[in-house]
Amino acid sequence: MNLEKVVFGFFIVLAMTLNFGFFIGDMADPEFHHPYELFAAIIVNLIATVLKFGDRTQIGAIHLSTSLVADLQLITAAIVWAAVSGMGTDMPAGTMVSIVSLSGGAFLANVTSVVLLIVETIMVRR
Amino acid sequence: MNSILFLILRRMRTPLITLIVSYAISILGFTLVPGLDGQGKPWHMSLFEAFYVVSYTATTIGFGEIPYSFSTAQRLWMTFSIYLTVIAWFYAIGKIITLIQDPGLRQMITMSRFARSVRLLREPFYIVCGYGETGSLLVGALDHKNIHAVIIDAKQDRINELELQDYQSPVPGLCADARLPEILLMAGIQHPMCGGIAALTDDDQANLAIAVVVKLIRPKLPVLCRAENQDTAANMASFGTDHIINPYELFGEHLAMEIHALGNYLLHEWLTGVPGTSLPSPACPPTGKWVVCGYGRFGKAVIKNLERENIQTTIIEADPDLTGCTHCIVGSGAQAETLLQAGIEDAVGIVAGTDNDVNNLSIAMTALEINPDLFVVIRKNKHFNEPLFRKFNADISMHPSDIIAHECLAHLISPLLAQFLAMARSESNAWANQTIGSLVETVGEQVPETWEARITGEHAPAIVNLLGHGKSVSLATLTYDPANRSQNLPLVPLLLVRDKQSILVPELCTPLGIGDRILFCGKHAAKSAQPLLLINRKVLNYVLAGTDEPEGAFWRWVTSLRSTSKL
Repeated sequence: MNLEKVVFGFFIVLAMTLNFGFFIGDMADPEFHHPYELFAAIIVNLIATVLKFGDRTQIGAIHLSTSLVADLQLITAAIVWAAVSGMGTDMPAGTMVSIVSLSGGAFLANVTSVVLLIVETIMVRR
Repeated sequence: MNSILFLILRRMRTPLITLIVSYAISILGFTLVPGLDGQGKPWHMSLFEAFYVVSYTATTIGFGEIPYSFSTAQRLWMTFSIYLTVIAWFYAIGKIITLIQDPGLRQMITMSRFARSVRLLREPFYIVCGYGETGSLLVGALDHKNIHAVIIDAKQDRINELELQDYQSPVPGLCADARLPEILLMAGIQHPMCGGIAALTDDDQANLAIAVVVKLIRPKLPVLCRAENQDTAANMASFGTDHIINPYELFGEHLAMEIHALGNYLLHEWLTGVPGTSLPSPACPPTGKWVVCGYGRFGKAVIKNLERENIQTTIIEADPDLTGCTHCIVGSGAQAETLLQAGIEDAVGIVAGTDNDVNNLSIAMTALEINPDLFVVIRKNKHFNEPLFRKFNADISMHPSDIIAHECLAHLISPLLAQFLAMARSESNAWANQTIGSLVETVGEQVPETWEARITGEHAPAIVNLLGHGKSVSLATLTYDPANRSQNLPLVPLLLVRDKQSILVPELCTPLGIGDRILFCGKHAAKSAQPLLLINRKVLNYVLAGTDEPEGAFWRWVTSLRSTSKL
């Protein structure tokens, strides 16, 4: 067992699960989507991205790119949230939908990342 | 470039993760710690507000307590986050700075820059290994002839010197060990535009290693090597090094040439000089008894060549056992009695050929005191002694760097030039004088340009087209001025190579054939005007027929009507 692999797998899977937790539920209802969950998803995704730095293999490059996609989508969602909630009024239902759908896109990218992780593990067979 | 990026990313992993984690902890804390708003009601920071506060605190900008004054609990957390995030920032910045200053990374960056600038070269270039005296002379001359060069040298200060040089075209240089195949590959030995490599380092073994690497990786690439030892030279020749330059042997040959065939020598010097410089007036060494001081590599080469010219020599050598000298006068040559013993009084010339500049000057001065009519040949070893030699003004000063650079130029400009010079050496002095006469008549007293023209579909489509139609084109066609056919371009054809046959100074009436290679020598204007004749059909037609042929179908028809009506 390799500790590096454990940490690596842990963060990638955690990024996906947190992302999923935020995404699941009625899209328009803010009750189902807690800001802390989005925050945690962003932080874990960022850490996962940094962990993927410096791998020169082809699969490593794809890993990095999926993570970058997820970061981009989640950070966009956070920016939208911060910008709209700063207006002082209640959040319109449409905004929540776009925030959640952005995180849904990030979730897909995270799923790809986990699939890659599984493929890599199966390929190596150790 | 890619590998550098990956290296940076990999080294930045820990600091970046530290930064992310410290931010996350601080932000989370701020949203959890209770505060009071303007009206004294309980208030919690939103995630975004917390991110904002942490961002300006961590970067030590410190806008203050925004949007409301902090509660004691918040200030407590702020104190904690300041130390946490600021330290994380400093750690990350410190890491980045260490990374930039890392010598390994810097070396990688310089190397990849060098490799890229070589890769981007789109014109023919030569690789010069060793940017010492010889290398800088050669690169200067190549640059003057608008030929690109790429330099590898093992010493950093020489590469720094290169950066200070004012060349017309950028000359990429790298401080590295040229013996490593990886470095040579980076310098472009596999590059399609690479025309050859000159190994000119002062280390014979390094030159040998370079030659081996190049001959293994790209056997067809011409390799010029400097070799001062016979063994190395033989070794180089054994695996097909294209040209081995031994400066001492070369000087010996030149000296012999000066004695018995001044014309040949002049021709050689003239064609391999830097264009635009004027020709130095030749010294004329006398025949008679010569005294040679120093029986090292230089002395041996001189004596071999002098003896071939049936000139009587006396050797003075300080250490006969080391140099393998059998009959000589033992002594340094700087003392008058040794020179007198060697018979300096009735000698016509003296060769001061030790490897010590001061000794050489002392020998020459002592000898001149005894016999003021002596012809003095002196060996220069170090470039920094140049002012001394200039002041002394010997009849011939031999400087290895100059000789090697000249020889390299002859081979690098065009293989035909080297062939011409080799053939010219075996011709008589009268022939050489006659050739020089005709050259001076057309080209003037300045060192001319030399270049090669090829009659191939790629290089001379106009001529090949005409030959393909069964018309005959003579060599004279290539000497007409494209702007005015009644005038001739200032150039002289020196050599025509057809298949295996080579014609020295071909007659102008020689008909051209496809595949011919011709070496021309002439003024710069002629060199730049001639390609027009080779490429442009209209210009060629004008030069041959004296009229501009109508181009379009209509005007051709009108012309044909006119010519029939005249009939």
